[in-house]
Amino acid sequence: MTQAAIAQVRQDCCEALSGLERQLSQLKSDHVLITGGTGFVGSWLAEALACLNDDFQFGVKIYILARNTGRFQSAYPHLADRRDTTIIQADIRDFFDVPAKINWIIHAAATPDNRFHSSSPVETMNVIASGTMTLVKAVDRCVNIKKFLNISSGLAYGPQPWDLERIAEGYTGAPASGAVSSAYAEAKRFAETYCGAARSQQRLPIVTVRPFAFLGPYQSLETPWAINNFIRDALTGNVLRVLGDGQTVRSYMYGSDMAAWLLRILTDGAIGAAYNVGNPEGITLERLAQLVAERFNPRPEIRLNASNSDARHHRTIFIPDTTLATTSLGLSIKTPLPTALERTIQWNRAYHAGSAKVAA
Amino acid sequence: MPAILISDPTLRDGNHAVQHKLTLKQIAVYCDAADAAGIPIVEVGHGNGVGASSLQLGESASPDMAALRMAREHLPHSKLGIHMIPGFATIEKDLKGAIAAGVDVVRVASHCTEADLTERHIGFARENGRTVYGVLMMSHMASKELLAEEAGKMESYGAEGIIFMDSSGHYLPQDVTERVKTLTTALSIPVGFHAHNNLGMAIANSIAALDAGAAMLDGCARGFGAGAGNAQLEVLVAVLERLGYQTGIDLYKLLDAADLAERELMKNVPSISSLSIVSGLSGVFSGFAKPVARAAQQFNVDPRDIFFELGQRKVIAGQEDLIIEVASDLAKKKVNSLLEAA
Repeated sequence: MTQAAIAQVRQDCCEALSGLERQLSQLKSDHVLITGGTGFVGSWLAEALACLNDDFQFGVKIYILARNTGRFQSAYPHLADRRDTTIIQADIRDFFDVPAKINWIIHAAATPDNRFHSSSPVETMNVIASGTMTLVKAVDRCVNIKKFLNISSGLAYGPQPWDLERIAEGYTGAPASGAVSSAYAEAKRFAETYCGAARSQQRLPIVTVRPFAFLGPYQSLETPWAINNFIRDALTGNVLRVLGDGQTVRSYMYGSDMAAWLLRILTDGAIGAAYNVGNPEGITLERLAQLVAERFNPRPEIRLNASNSDARHHRTIFIPDTTLATTSLGLSIKTPLPTALERTIQWNRAYHAGSAKVAA
Repeated sequence: MPAILISDPTLRDGNHAVQHKLTLKQIAVYCDAADAAGIPIVEVGHGNGVGASSLQLGESASPDMAALRMAREHLPHSKLGIHMIPGFATIEKDLKGAIAAGVDVVRVASHCTEADLTERHIGFARENGRTVYGVLMMSHMASKELLAEEAGKMESYGAEGIIFMDSSGHYLPQDVTERVKTLTTALSIPVGFHAHNNLGMAIANSIAALDAGAAMLDGCARGFGAGAGNAQLEVLVAVLERLGYQTGIDLYKLLDAADLAERELMKNVPSISSLSIVSGLSGVFSGFAKPVARAAQQFNVDPRDIFFELGQRKVIAGQEDLIIEVASDLAKKKVNSLLEAA
C-alpha cells in the first residue's frame, strides 16, 4: 500500500473521531479485541483505534483475531507492525483463550461477500453461528469485559418493503426461511438471538449493531456490488452498467464514519439494544452511477440493463432509520456521499498507483 | 412492445455441425453479412467454446484467437461474443487472449447444477469491462427451483444476465414458460433462452420464453447448430416482427445472411433426423449425434439404444468418452443375449 493511501485513511479517521474523544475516553489504556480483523469493518476499526492512540494518546492495546494473519500482515503492514497491536491467529469457530486482560470485544468475523454466500451457504452459516457461540462461551470466562459489540447485519430484517422509506430497529421482518439466499441473513438473526440469550442468562454486556451498506478504502472493487463496480469501471475507462432500471435504492456510509459509530456504540450503546448503522439518505443506482461518472474526465457512459419483464418488480430498497443512534448517542454522518465517493476514488487511485488498468 | 436482444451463435454452435471445421474465410464472410444485417451479438468459436479444441471434443480448423481476431475485423458494428466453459477454457490461456482480441460479450457456461465453477471467469470478465452473461447448459436436468438457485449464484458472481439452454432440445413450451417465470421472479437480471430443435419446438419454445418474460434469445442462420440445430434465426426474427417485438435487425439482410450461411458454411442444412428426435426425447446433448452414430457403426448397435442409455446415465457435454463405453456395453449385452438364445 502506498504512503498516500495510508495517510488518507488516517486523515479520514482523525476527522471522523474528532469531537468524540471525550465520549470514547472509556477506552483509554484498555484492551480491545476485534474478531474478523482482515475484513472491511475490522480493518477500519483497527485504523480508528490506531488513530486514537497516535493522535489522541488513548494508549489502547489492540488485539486482532484473524483466520489468516499472513493476509492481515500483507494487506495492512502499517497496522500489523504496530507495537500496540497483537495479532492472534485463530478460526473463530475453534475454542481459544480470550486474553484475560480484554475489556472490550467487537465481534466482526463473517464475510459479507454475497459470492461466498451463494457458493458456500453452509460455511457462511457455520462461521457466523458456530463462531458467535464459541466466542460467547470463551468470553464467559473473562472477568474484565466491559462490553461486547455483536456486529449483525441490516439484512437480518429481511427484504425492506418498497413503500417503507427506512427500516427502524423495531421492524419485525425476517429473511425467507429455508431459502439458500437467506443463509447469511438468517445466520446473523440467529447470532443476534444467541447473543440476546447469553446477555440474559450469562449476564454478558452485549450490544448489537445492524450495519447496512458502506463504501471507502479497503473495500475490494472486485466485489460485485453496484458502487464498487461503478467505481472500478470508471477507473478502468469502461461503461458503467446499471443492472435493472436504475431505480433500486441504496445508501452508503463512509468507512471512517462507520468506525466512529461502532466505537461510540461500543462504549455507550445500551446493553441489550440494537442500533442501525448506515446512511439514512437513499439514492437510486442510476443517480449513484451519475455521481460516480461526474467525477471522471472523460465522463464514462452509463448504460441501464433492464429486463424485458417488469423492471419495477426487481427494484429493491435498503435504507436504515438511524434515529436511535443519532438521538441517543449524538452520532451523525460527517462524510456526505459526494465526499465519500471522491475520497474512495482518490484512495483507489493512490492504492493502485502504477497499475496500467487505472485511468488517471 | 419491448426490445429483444438477439445473440447469434451460428459461428459457434454451428461448428458442432461441421466437426469444428469452420475456416477463417467462412468466419469472415458470415461476419460481414451478420454485421450488415445488424445482428446485435455474433458468437464465434469452437462448438464447446474457446479453449475446447481437443482430440476428444474435436479440433478446431481455426485457432481460437485467430478466429476471434478475424471476426472482430469483420464486425465493425455487431458485438463479438464468446462461449466459454471453465475447465475447457482458462482465464490465463483463453479469456485474457479473447479480451485482447476484442471480445465484447463473454458468456460463461456450466452444466445446470455446477454454477460454482463460473465465479472466477465471470469476475475476471467483469473486472475487465466486458459484458458477462451466465449460461446454464442442459437445463432440463435441473428442477426450475434448482435452476433458479444456480442462476442466483451466477448473479451474485456478477453475471448481467442468465441464459438457460435447452441443449438437447427436450423442452415443450410449458417447460420453458415455467422456468422463465421462476427465473425472472428469482433474479434481478435479464433472462435469456437458447433453443434446440430436436422436437421441432425451437421457435415455439423461444416465443414461450418471451411471453413468460425472457429478454434475450439465441438463434442461428438456418438453425446451424448441434444435432437438429437451433432456433432458426431468420424465422425467429420474422416471427418476432409479426408479434411486434423490436430486434434492430434488418430482415432482408438477415435473409441474405442466412442464404449466404447455407451456401458458404454448411455441408448439410440441419434437419431433424431420427437420431435427433431420440436425442431430444432422451434428454441427451444434441452434439452427441455424430459421435453416437460413429460408435453405433463401430460396435454394430442401434444408435437409438445408445442415446436412451446415455439419457439413463444422465450424461452431459464433455462426457463424450462415455459414448464408447455405452456402445461397448450394449454390444456385449447383444452378444450375451444371442449366446443365451442359442
